[in-house]
Amino acid sequence: MAAPNHRATGRGLTAALAALALLVLSACGSGSDAAPAAPASSGPVTVTHAQGTATFQATPAKVVVFDIGALVTLDDLGVPVVGVPKLEGLPERLAKYAGERYTKVGTLFEPDYEKVNELAPDLIIVGGRSAPAYAELSKIATTIDLTVDNAKFLTSLRERVEAVGAVFGKQDEVRRRLDALSARITEIAGRTPAGGKRGLIVLTTGGKISAYGPGSRFGLIHDALGVQPAAEGLGTDIHGNAVSAEFIAQTNPDVLYVVDRDSAIGDNGQAARRVLDNALVNGTNAARNNRVVYLEPFAWYVAPTGLSSVESMVAAIGDSLS
Amino acid sequence: MSRSTGRRREVRGRHLALAVLLLVPAALASLFVGAGELSPLDLLRADSGAALLLLESRLPRLLAILLAGTAMSVAGLVMMHITRNRFVSPSTAGTTESAVLGVFVATVFLGAESVMVKMVVALLFALLGTLFFLWVLRKLTFADVVVVPLVGIMLGGVITAVTTFFAYRADLLQSLSAWTNGDFSSVLRGRYELLWLTAAVTVGCYFYANRFTVAGVGRDFAVNLGVHYDRVVNLGLLLVSATTAAVVVTVGNIPFLGLVVPNLVTLVLGDNLRRVLPVTALAGAAFVLACDVVGRVVRHPHEIPVETVAGVVGSVVFLLLVLRVRRVAG
Repeated sequence: MAAPNHRATGRGLTAALAALALLVLSACGSGSDAAPAAPASSGPVTVTHAQGTATFQATPAKVVVFDIGALVTLDDLGVPVVGVPKLEGLPERLAKYAGERYTKVGTLFEPDYEKVNELAPDLIIVGGRSAPAYAELSKIATTIDLTVDNAKFLTSLRERVEAVGAVFGKQDEVRRRLDALSARITEIAGRTPAGGKRGLIVLTTGGKISAYGPGSRFGLIHDALGVQPAAEGLGTDIHGNAVSAEFIAQTNPDVLYVVDRDSAIGDNGQAARRVLDNALVNGTNAARNNRVVYLEPFAWYVAPTGLSSVESMVAAIGDSLS
Repeated sequence: MSRSTGRRREVRGRHLALAVLLLVPAALASLFVGAGELSPLDLLRADSGAALLLLESRLPRLLAILLAGTAMSVAGLVMMHITRNRFVSPSTAGTTESAVLGVFVATVFLGAESVMVKMVVALLFALLGTLFFLWVLRKLTFADVVVVPLVGIMLGGVITAVTTFFAYRADLLQSLSAWTNGDFSSVLRGRYELLWLTAAVTVGCYFYANRFTVAGVGRDFAVNLGVHYDRVVNLGLLLVSATTAAVVVTVGNIPFLGLVVPNLVTLVLGDNLRRVLPVTALAGAAFVLACDVVGRVVRHPHEIPVETVAGVVGSVVFLLLVLRVRRVAG
């Protein structure tokens, strides 16, 4: 009876000390406005993430990552990782992560805590689907949550990517790419109102259709890139609003953006093209003018918070409006 | 049967006429409810867009609703007789859950592109699941009227757990719910025609109705009357499984449909299957129609799946029925 009690008190004390240290450090850090201001080479780096802050004395060497968006960003920046979740249907560029060189630490939704523990990582990254595991994982090692807030996608994305840049000493590259991205977004958003095109975003799965609007997981199209929503009052539920082909016909968008969930998860169910190939959808402006845009499922559905994902997403919408 | 069959209330023409009189206007009205704008006036003006909407979406949807509604409630009625328990229906005997497992197996392991393959596999699974339920039923020593469906519901739960486990391993949980949630929103011309099979099955049920009724009185009695009891029961199971499979494959699961509709109808009209079958069929169609229209209207222009609406309405009615039987049984 006594032993666990002892351990509990011990852990409590350690936690309290850690919290105190964190408090002191973050107080130091908060002097500079943007968190990753300090240069990478010397001194501790403190970054803010979705569930708090984390401090690094040195650049983490062993990184376990659960969020595929974060994995994409790390890959973009050439940061090596040691552990990833079980992944399927990766695009060619990322296919190596499915291989044996990378320890498989569970699934996107459910970490294999034993495996993570065995790896003894310096840093664990969660985000989105894996964010709920934050509390449990942070008991094993320093954990950061890179969940991006859909309501303010771009600001939030910038913060998260900059945090990654700061932790791994890649601030310059990150800043350059984010600035280029911002410029591209401003350019696209600047010309859309003139085009006056009304867009509708739908996701298909198992033969069913759901629609997404501003503020949703695909809201980037409306919120940042300025595509006018073709339908009013779409909620921001994670699984969208169940709609029918009739709804698409009635909304009559100029551009129809399609996320094919079944192909995103490598399922051989009904492809989006078959679901949408009917007289009602074919009668819309979008279909008649050949503006049904099939969005790249990996970037949009699986890893929408990766740096190069967003770059390609923005480029795709830019192309669809030209 | 648990209720007296002595109450021989004739289903006169007027019952049927009343049902038709209620259903036909409701069905016609439902043609003008939906995400797209369509009014009778548009049709009179011979608007080509309106005609398209009607022929591509509204009419197929209405037909799918009527077919699924009639088929599942008749299947429930037949099941009631075969098992001699008024709370046994495809959704309380593991039939639906088995059909869902079949759809999953066909899609994942056979990569079933063809709906027919899915349908056949679902039928086989539905049949096996139901036979297993009947086998369990025979082993039950305490076959209380409410215990029997509870066993069926538990069996269904176990089968669902198996399906869920494999869907989880295959990372297809969300897809599974998309395949199996009862929903008419994806019904368009060319995507529901499999349901016409159920119409044939329903007609078949009508021709065998008297034999099902006799079987429903009990094995000994049926054999005394010269009825091939086992053959009749097996045929009934086959018809019920085929119906369930067709409905699950095309529109998904509509909970409580096969349970509450036959119960309500037989409460009023008695247990002679041949007599109550037409009214049950019409009432089933009306039930699904009402649920679907509610689903289309509540969040217009978005939709609430018929499964959700039917689940809410059906569970309340089911509870009332169970309480009522408990009271009658004392």
